[in-house]
Formats: sequence, C-alpha cells, structure tokens
Amino acid sequence: MKKLQETALVIEHEQVAQLTHRLKLQAPGISRSACAGQFAMIQVREGFDPLLRRPLSFHRILPAEGCIELLYRVVGRGTWWLSQAKPGTAVSILGPLGNGFTPDESAGYPVALIAGGIGIAPLFQLLLNLVADSPENRRENIHLFYGARTAAELLPEDSFDLLGIPVHVSTDDGSRGFHGRVTQLFESIVEGGPMQPRRVFACGPLAMQVQVAKWVVAHGTASQLSLEALMACGVGACLGCALPAVRSNDSGPNQFVHVCKDGPIFQAGSIEWTKIQPHPMPTPTFLYS
Amino acid sequence: MDENTTASNANPDLSVQLGPLRLKNPVMAASGTFGYGAEYSDFFDLRELGAIVVKGLSLQPRPGNPPPRLAETPAGLINAIGLENVGVESFIREKLPFLAQLQVPVIANIFGNTVDEYAELASRLDGIPGLAAIEINISCPNVKEGGMVFGTDPSMAAGVVQAVRRTASMPIITKLTPNVTRIAQIARAVVDAGSDMISCINTIAAMAVDIFSRRPKLANIVGGLSGPAIKPIALRCTYEVVQAVHCPVIGIGGITNATDALEFLLIGARAVQIGTANFVRPSVTREVIDGMRRFLGVQGIHSVEEFIGTLDTRCLFPFAEEACPIPEIADKRA
Repeated sequence: MKKLQETALVIEHEQVAQLTHRLKLQAPGISRSACAGQFAMIQVREGFDPLLRRPLSFHRILPAEGCIELLYRVVGRGTWWLSQAKPGTAVSILGPLGNGFTPDESAGYPVALIAGGIGIAPLFQLLLNLVADSPENRRENIHLFYGARTAAELLPEDSFDLLGIPVHVSTDDGSRGFHGRVTQLFESIVEGGPMQPRRVFACGPLAMQVQVAKWVVAHGTASQLSLEALMACGVGACLGCALPAVRSNDSGPNQFVHVCKDGPIFQAGSIEWTKIQPHPMPTPTFLYS
Repeated sequence: MDENTTASNANPDLSVQLGPLRLKNPVMAASGTFGYGAEYSDFFDLRELGAIVVKGLSLQPRPGNPPPRLAETPAGLINAIGLENVGVESFIREKLPFLAQLQVPVIANIFGNTVDEYAELASRLDGIPGLAAIEINISCPNVKEGGMVFGTDPSMAAGVVQAVRRTASMPIITKLTPNVTRIAQIARAVVDAGSDMISCINTIAAMAVDIFSRRPKLANIVGGLSGPAIKPIALRCTYEVVQAVHCPVIGIGGITNATDALEFLLIGARAVQIGTANFVRPSVTREVIDGMRRFLGVQGIHSVEEFIGTLDTRCLFPFAEEACPIPEIADKRA
C-alpha cells in the first residue's frame, strides 16, 4: 500500500463533544487505500510551530466520496491549532500509515470493542466493517463498551443507532451509564457469561489498555489494541515512537516495537506493559498563556 | 515558475565535487532521519538525491533508549533515540541491496564505544560495492559511551579518525558536534588525522520538562535539539569550520527549504544534509533541489559551484564612494 502526501480540503469540521472535533477531509488518494486502524500524519498549520505533524487515526473512510474523517480531542497546542481549520482550507496529510486492524472472523463471536474517550476514533470504522461483514443475526454479538470521564465527552447517543449493536456506556463520574471505568463495566458484563468475547479490539488511554491487556492475556482471548506514542515521522524513519516489547529471551537487552510501522495495532501479548511510562498528557499551556 | 521560459538559465548545473565524490546535486538526506532509504521511497524518486546517509551503524544491533524518546519545542525537536540500529551485518545483508540499486551515493554513518570498534566497523564496510563513503559519528549526545565523548576532545577525535583512516581506503567524512567551545579546533584535528571531509552539525544538547507531571519529557532526561530552531547556530559552526580547514564541508542543521540550503552553500559548504524536515515533508529534499535549480536559473548562475563560498563579508561601513546597491540606504546617505 503506497503512502501518499496529499493536500486535503476541509469539507466539514465540527465539535461533536467536549473538546472533541470531527474533521472531514477530501483526500481521494488516501481514502482509496486506507483501512480501519491505520492513521494519517496531519500538518495542523503552516509554519514551524508546532513543527511536527500529528498522528490521527481514521474515524471513517469514505472512498466513494473520496473523503476521510478524523476524530480528535484537543489536548495540546497542535490539536488546538487543528481545531481552527475552517471548511474550504487545505491541510497537508500523509497516509495511510501503520498496519490497521485485521479482523479474523474465524476467531468467532462474541466480539467486544472497548473504547476509552477519544479511543472511539479508530474503533468506529472497525465497527462499520464488522457490522457490514457479519451476518444479520450476529450483530447482537458485537458489543461496544464505550467509556469517558464524563457524559459531555461522549459522542452523541444516536451515533451508533444505525449499527444495530449493543452499546454499553460508562462514565467515571456516573453522569451517564455505568458509574466507573469502562474496563470495570466490560468485566462485570462479560465475565464467565455467554457474552465473554472471542475477540477484543480496544483503543483508549494507557491505563485502560493495561487493564484490557491483563484481561485478554488471562483469558487467552485474541486481541488487537490500538496504541499511541509521541511520533515525529510516522513512516519508521525517526524511531521515536518506541514501546517496550516482550523479549524473546529474558536475559537479552530491551527490545522495542515502533508504533508507526509495527503498529499502531498490537496484540496485547506482544507489549511489555509494565515497562511503559505513562503517556504524559501534553502540557495544556494554551490554557495558561 | 516554468523553467522553460526562465530567461537567464533554464537548466543550471547542480553537480558538485565533494572531495573524491561527484554528486549530481549538493542535497543529501541526513543520518537518522531517512531510515535506510526505503522508508521514503513511496514519496518521491530517491534517485534524485545527491546522496543518502543511512542511520548510524554499530557492530552489534542496538535497541536504543527507552521511551519517551521525543519532545517537540518551538521550531525544534529534541530526540534521545539512543542510536537504535540493525547493526552493520544486518545493514549489509538486508538494507544495502535496496540502496545500492538506486545508483545514488550511499554514505554509511558509523559509531562505536571504543576506537577499536570504529576501526572494525570501517574495515567491515570498506570497499563494499554500493557504498560511497563513511561518515564517522563522534557527535551523538544521547549515548553514554562513545559518541560525543570523542567529538568534544580534539585528540580523542583525531584518534578515532586515525584508526578509521588506517583501515579504510574509502572517503571519510567526520560529523562534528556543536557542543564544544571551539568547533574549528576539532575540525582541524580530524582533518590532520586524515578525514577527507567534515559534516556539521549534529544535534545541540538540550532538555525539556513538564511542569504538570514535574518530569523530564525524555526518559533519557536530556537529548539533542534539531529543526529550524538550530539553523543560525549551524550556519555559524559551519562557517567557522569552512574558515578553518581546506577540505570540503557539508552543512547540516535546520534546513527546511532551498533558501536555507543555499545559505549554507553561500558560506562555503559544498553540500548540505537535510534531517528533521524529512519528518514533516517527506519529499523536502526534492523540493530543495528544485528550488535551488530555480534560484540559480533566475539569478543567471550557470553552476552551483559558482555560488558556493561567495559570501561577501567586506565591511559596509564606512560607506565607500561607489553607489550603495540598496536604494533606501543610498537615499539616507545623500
């Protein structure tokens, strides 16, 4: 799959939840070859500050329209600048990058998708694919577990209506759905019961992914986790986006995988979770200066 | 601009002589920012490049530093990758064949923990078909041993170069660190020790911290700054080196467009390397080559060689008798 640098036109750009924006871009080349779980590097503005592009995963891929959609949360200066892009303006994007989800249907049903906050972004296109590829009577066996800190950060409730799948919502503050973490909700629903998944797909903050990884490893469940890291190039050149990998032998040196070229989708068992430093939230200096 | 209609010179000669190397243009991809070439092959025809410098190679594969390895700063990027690389054998076996078929000069960047390791690397790489030169890295700020330790002391730097010179018949480039008081001194030492060329600069030692978590942004705590922020420092360093030695100098540091590249050529660098900008615009090297061609064409300069080292540093004050070329200033003088 050829990587492209494309000048994309902003078609729609709207805030869909607290600090959360949906950006629809006309990018015909990238939309034709992009897969769920892959990502694009987007230049948030002209000039040198911020210097680097930002990696954002595909939220929806619309090859018929020649468009892609990105869903992102404003967490720092880069995403704040991006949120200012008006429809009709052009942004430069590189993509499609990374490996993408590879849903293996032979692993069977039920399927669980676990999304923490903005982690819903890549899982949405995956959901669309899973629903399209599954027989009608299997759809009730595709479960979305979707959590956020508070109700205002969740996508509108009707976002998933057309999919016809069970959606289980949680918020850390109890303002909507289950009161607690999405992983607690997930475990309380599936543990030992008929809904225990044969396949798990997840995207969310590191603390959530660690919990998901523990669960799938303990249950021997097939898993594909979408991970993130600070990234400069997106194409495997800078080697900046390293994550600790499980070593082939215990006494060997550290080994790393790179989110941009080995991922961003990883099996839970391939990552050395205990060695990941918690991803520091980008300093929200734009709130203070 | 349509090159065919450019009056002065539609097709200037961009080729440069770099010591024993002949390059079709003076633009190279810098070590550590272009992988082993294949990473960028989707974006443009790599054969357009003057040369490719590959990621630094060690005798054994290295896993690199723990993450986080990157911190972004205004117009800059601090990295502490820690010279992660596949090792020299794997490079020769798996990476070089792709690069060799491009027919672009390939420069192997090497680093070791000891002088002997540098020499061993050089002897392993010397004369391998498809390799044009060896670039000795004595300037990485992100590793405990080797690297910058050698590059900040003239006699240690000379020692490394001598050891490589003894085992290698290929052209040797020595890549210098700016993290010294007098870079010209290091430059003279490595040229006297047998380096055919100098490239400068590597990254500038730097640091970034987070006031919320109260932690360093890099696991390595400190790293090396690159990007547009360092260009003025890189220009000054390159200028000092050009003044100090007679061998070809390759300018590196913060180049993002043709103007930047031409600035380095103007002060006397015979070629440039582009690094961090590759991350932002994968085809930036080609854009710089195109821009350079346009500039020379519009200026009516037939060959880039005519432009190299033509910086006019004569003092503008006091004003001479001849007319001042800048009307605004000429008016004030009247």
